[in-house]
Amino acid sequence: MVLSAILAVVVFVVMFIMSARDRLSRTAAMGMSALGTILLLFGTFMGLSNDESGLIAKIVAVLIFVVMFVLIIMDKIERHIVTLCCGLATLVMVFGICMKSIDAVWETLNVANIFTPGFWYTAGSAEESSSGINWATIIFIAGMMVMVEGMAKAGFFRWLCMTLAKLVKYKVIPLFITFMLMSAVLSMFIDSITVILFLAAVTVELAQLLKFNPIPMILSEVFCANLGGSATMCGDPPNIIVGTSLGYSFADFLTNTGVIAGISLVFVLVYFFLIFRKELSEASKNNIDTSKMPDPKEAITDKRGFIISIVIFLIAVVMLVTHAQTGLTVAFIGAVVAVLTLATSGKSCLELLKKVDYKTLLFFVGLFVVVGGLEQTGVLVVVADFIGSISGGNALLMVAIIIWISAIASSVVDNIPFAATMIPIIKTLSLTTGTSLDVLAWSLSLGTDIGGSATPIGASANVVGTSVAAKHGYPIGWGRYLKACVPATVIVLVICTVSIFIRYGAELGIY
Amino acid sequence: MDKQLIISVGREFGSGGHIVAAKLAEYFGLPLFDSNILGDIAKEKNTSEEYLRKYDESARNLLFSRTVNGFSNSPEEVIAQMQFEYIKNRADAGESFVVIGRCSDYILRENPGLVRVFILGDMDSKIKRTAEREGISEEKAKSRIEQHDKRRKYYHNTHCDTKWGDSRSYDITVNSSRLGIEGTTELLIRYIELKNA
Repeated sequence: MVLSAILAVVVFVVMFIMSARDRLSRTAAMGMSALGTILLLFGTFMGLSNDESGLIAKIVAVLIFVVMFVLIIMDKIERHIVTLCCGLATLVMVFGICMKSIDAVWETLNVANIFTPGFWYTAGSAEESSSGINWATIIFIAGMMVMVEGMAKAGFFRWLCMTLAKLVKYKVIPLFITFMLMSAVLSMFIDSITVILFLAAVTVELAQLLKFNPIPMILSEVFCANLGGSATMCGDPPNIIVGTSLGYSFADFLTNTGVIAGISLVFVLVYFFLIFRKELSEASKNNIDTSKMPDPKEAITDKRGFIISIVIFLIAVVMLVTHAQTGLTVAFIGAVVAVLTLATSGKSCLELLKKVDYKTLLFFVGLFVVVGGLEQTGVLVVVADFIGSISGGNALLMVAIIIWISAIASSVVDNIPFAATMIPIIKTLSLTTGTSLDVLAWSLSLGTDIGGSATPIGASANVVGTSVAAKHGYPIGWGRYLKACVPATVIVLVICTVSIFIRYGAELGIY
Repeated sequence: MDKQLIISVGREFGSGGHIVAAKLAEYFGLPLFDSNILGDIAKEKNTSEEYLRKYDESARNLLFSRTVNGFSNSPEEVIAQMQFEYIKNRADAGESFVVIGRCSDYILRENPGLVRVFILGDMDSKIKRTAEREGISEEKAKSRIEQHDKRRKYYHNTHCDTKWGDSRSYDITVNSSRLGIEGTTELLIRYIELKNA
């Protein structure tokens, strides 16, 4: 088994070097891939006969996870295809061949959960099974996607941006502050990709009309979108996953991560104003005739649809804020807003459905299965034990490790798979070390959400913001991005760490 | 000229391909598109050409960029797409021109008026030309040639299904070291005229 694994690795390494040097034809590459795969499969089968401890299952699950992460980072194959293929490999190789456990397959697919009343309505804690596919997250995100598409189609976001710009009389510094605040507030309820997509496009448009460089404003908006997303359960995908997996409500997030995000926002506003004040002050000196600015009303493409979309958005906000009291789960809320949007959209119903980002939903499905493989094989318990041992059972150190490691990891890799992987780990950590799960959960949420802001590839909002800027002729290089956002990320992470130590001092044994 | 003529010139660094392309443009009375199209794009986008020039003819770095919902945040990728769109729009509008690099051999492959040329050269003559032109040592010239050609190859092969410098990707490939710049230009003029006859 070991021999065949070594041979497979040699084949893959030779293939990689040859292809890097461009000395590999397509046929040779296919032949070598097939040979490597056969060797790997052979090794796995051989190893199975002697896999009492489940070691092979663990190794295969980790290998699949690593391959998935590398392929996501390489970005050569669409990420939903990567996670779905790796998910399928987990089902077949880990659960089927290695573990021979049909129960593990069902537990990971988690489909039966959707048909239980508790999935849609629960009077008490709304805890989802954290193992396998988190359907509540997927249904909620799908529902919000439909709602946001409806709002965008009616012209809501452009209207809001233009109205606020008009309210501050198109003055650059107030516009800068207003757009940062709007980015943070909207991202609390709507996915940050949509928020930045519209905000960055309007920022560039206004920048061209008012003759200022939009890059400082876009960078600040992106940062605030990520910060705003960390404040609520539905603001950022990692929070939705943490919330649905561990049974937290919207209010739980708002009163814990929300408060810390609010404090951080004040510092962030001051920080960005200070670092960009020179450029902003120069732009303020431009004498522009604002009477020729576009009228916000022009942004509304359909008046009836516009009003309906605002009403549905408000219903969603009310349902989210009160869901701990009403017992409605986020899956139910997602389904309701989607049905309401589709039912009131008339002829545009199909168009809205077509615009839903199914690739992201499929990405989630595959991802949850791969993480389920790590969980079922017990790999995550090993990781949790490792974190527990290096922190020596010190709760403060554990919290600091979770915040900072999550932040560093999320700044370079997608924070969604990272958060999904970390949830079972913090659960185990809490059980084995007695550290409060709540504190670990808030640390994880803040670390993954904030860490993503540090680099242009850390979070989806950063990618979309920098992409929109580049498409309009304002490319943002890594140097420019890091110079502005790394200090801001560090400031916010320090605030988060200190706030958690102070607020949860009793749970952490400080006082 | 009644018939649309687009001459796409791929070239090795130091082969004199740029000079040949300029001479072809002059002979046929066509505009020459190279990095100068960034000026037009910058004007169109109301931005500074300086911002865009930094990322001209460079391929995206896989580790330092991501794509989300079709939005790539690689400036190299975005600027490459802007240039492709610019060239394609001009070609679709029926304009004739000479274009240097920018994957034009592949981007415009459907256009019936396209002539795909690749100019290469012997390493010795490329080193000599580069060292003279840039006033650097031959050693430095060699390393600059290798660096630029590696970048061009990666840029081309990232965006195209065809391979950079592979004779199968072009209508004609010429070694400029054999006939010199003038001879190569003459040869290409004859070829294009015969092809368009």
